Amino acid sequence: MISHEDSMRILIADDDEDDRTFFSDAMMELKMNNNLTLFNDGKELMDYLANPDIMLPHLLFLDLNMPRKSGFECLKEIRADLRFKDVSIAIYSTSSSEKDIEETFIEGANIYIKKPNDFNKLKKVIKEVLNVNWQFHSSGLNKETFFFSI
Amino acid sequence: MKNIKLLKLYKNSEIFKIALGIAIAVVCYIASVFYTQMRSLDSSVNLIANATETQLELEKVLSIISIYETNLRTYIITKDESYLENRFLRKGEIESNLKEIDKLVANNPTRVKDVKRLKGLIEYRFALFRETLLLAKSKNPNSAALNAKLQESNDFTEIMKNFVYKTINAEGDKVKIHNDNHQFELEDSMISAFLLVILSLLILLLSFNKMNVDIAELKKTNDELKFLNRSFNNAEKIAGFGHWKINLEKDTYTYSDNFFRLIGLEPQSFTPSLENISKYIHPDDLEYVTRMHMDSLRTHKPTSLMYRFVLPDGEIKYIMSVGSFTKNGKGESVKTGVNYDMTDQFKKTIELEENNKELKSINEELESFNNIVSHDLQEPLHKIQMFISRIESKEMDGISEQGKIYFSKIRTSANKMQTLLIDLVNYSRTIKGDKVFEDTDLNGLVNQVIDELSSNIEDKNAEITVGDLPVVKAISFQIEQLFINLITNSLKYSQEDRAPKISIFSKNIEENEIYDNEIISNEKYYKIVVEDNGIGFKQEYAEKIFVLFQRLETGSKYSGTGLGLAICKRIVDNHDGFIKVLSEPNVGSQFCVFLPKKA
Repeated sequence: MISHEDSMRILIADDDEDDRTFFSDAMMELKMNNNLTLFNDGKELMDYLANPDIMLPHLLFLDLNMPRKSGFECLKEIRADLRFKDVSIAIYSTSSSEKDIEETFIEGANIYIKKPNDFNKLKKVIKEVLNVNWQFHSSGLNKETFFFSI
Repeated sequence: MKNIKLLKLYKNSEIFKIALGIAIAVVCYIASVFYTQMRSLDSSVNLIANATETQLELEKVLSIISIYETNLRTYIITKDESYLENRFLRKGEIESNLKEIDKLVANNPTRVKDVKRLKGLIEYRFALFRETLLLAKSKNPNSAALNAKLQESNDFTEIMKNFVYKTINAEGDKVKIHNDNHQFELEDSMISAFLLVILSLLILLLSFNKMNVDIAELKKTNDELKFLNRSFNNAEKIAGFGHWKINLEKDTYTYSDNFFRLIGLEPQSFTPSLENISKYIHPDDLEYVTRMHMDSLRTHKPTSLMYRFVLPDGEIKYIMSVGSFTKNGKGESVKTGVNYDMTDQFKKTIELEENNKELKSINEELESFNNIVSHDLQEPLHKIQMFISRIESKEMDGISEQGKIYFSKIRTSANKMQTLLIDLVNYSRTIKGDKVFEDTDLNGLVNQVIDELSSNIEDKNAEITVGDLPVVKAISFQIEQLFINLITNSLKYSQEDRAPKISIFSKNIEENEIYDNEIISNEKYYKIVVEDNGIGFKQEYAEKIFVLFQRLETGSKYSGTGLGLAICKRIVDNHDGFIKVLSEPNVGSQFCVFLPKKA
């Protein structure tokens, strides 16, 4: 059980360097007590997670279009492993295609975030997502609330 | 009505046969009656003749006796021996007479008795004759005794005469009776004969008439059949099909004239048979066709085959051959069928299929192009916008006023591009995709849309009222998009000095409208209205407004991509519905969406 009082361990996997920079800059400006780890692609992420000694993350932001291993594949693998059942997964992508939204919903992502185009908006989004009480968030079951919108 | 009924009866051959039978029976009956009458006439004539002859014979007997008497008397008077010539010793003539009489009265017992009596009387008379003769011839004639004898003889003769006359009279009565009967019978038989003739004539006439009527009808039917046949043959020619028939019992094949023409041959140019026709079937199809045909001959299941014929000039025709099994007029099993020239259709189908394939591949290309446009363009755009926002939040201090203006213009353009890309994605979603129709609660949907647009609505201080909307069978996400676009438009194109008031409601169709050859009536369509009090536009643009990328002049105040309403129209088309707009500048616009009530 991941308790809310600990500082949140957050992972983000995105192959775009600029997007990673935006994200970490936004988190820094929010000054929330968090522990952020960045990954360049899906393979790096899964290699890291494969290690049994790591502390399980609270929240993972997952880009979809990544080389070597796509976000979809990571999502499937993570959800197939019961070790990560309490890890919340937020899909973080530029795409908002129905197909992507539906497939990630079916594969067990908790929430779908379309990458905002404005830095301030980005900060807002991150703040809200981090504040969601994931224990009670029923997103995995409710398609209407799956697509995150401010 | 009665006449028609009678006529119908008359024409009905069953009834006629029965009537004829009855008539013939009646005729036979009358004929037999007539015959009987004839016979009885015959016998009565015989009886009369018989009686008359009997009378005659009896008279003869009497006269002979009289002659003898006279002769005897004459002898007694003249003593001339010539009057006695063997007349009394032998009865001679009388014998033959009596024989005749016997014959004549043989059938009449009473008469037989009488004749017997007569014979007795005659015997006695002859005895008397002999006695008288003896007395007359004796040497000592005793005139007293002779006279007495003569007297006795006279008296006896009287008695005999009386007896005979009585008999004769009896016979005479008989004759009379028979005569009378004969008259009646003659009259009766005349009637019978007359009836017979009349009836026979009648039967003859009726039969003749009926025969004529029947023949006329047959001829008419025949003519009709001939005409039908000719029309059918013509129709075959025009329509381009030929028919065939296989008699399964006799194993004979029949092909119609056009059957031959279909495969480029003169009608009946070869003897119809499986072997002969096989020569013209395309070798690649021959085995299949023969097998299917032979199977059908066993199972009597109908066949429907398409195969090729190779015409004598080398041309290939696609023929559709359909056949089924039935029984002909004689009860023999036959397979009948029709061959139809499908070449044109087949070629067209092939063309269509090729067109389809081409279209599909074009579509696929377009789709991938679409993907590129919508997704891959979004990435760099997103970056542009992000970096601009970074600059605007962090670096603005180091930039000149002019520079700030430039950045703001860059941002505006980037946003515009963003909107356009989103709209393009939406538009493409209305074209492709699985069209899944499900029951959609429009109230729920509209409320959801209002929720999504809540910040926009708040910004504009807009008031939205939603009435009772129906549940329709629709593609949910598309209808959602429809309302998003319409409401966004109403919000966007609102008047500066007025807070937008938008009402969404459903209305009964009062007056049926005609749109695209379809009558829009209340039974068939829902009418849903999105009404606003915005800037409106001239009604003459009411159709142009839905065209892709078309925008009306609104100046730079109102930005738009020209896609929103085109998307709405596309969505409504997908649902087999209609969209129309009524508008007036500075008053507002009323968008009417008609959705079919049935799926």
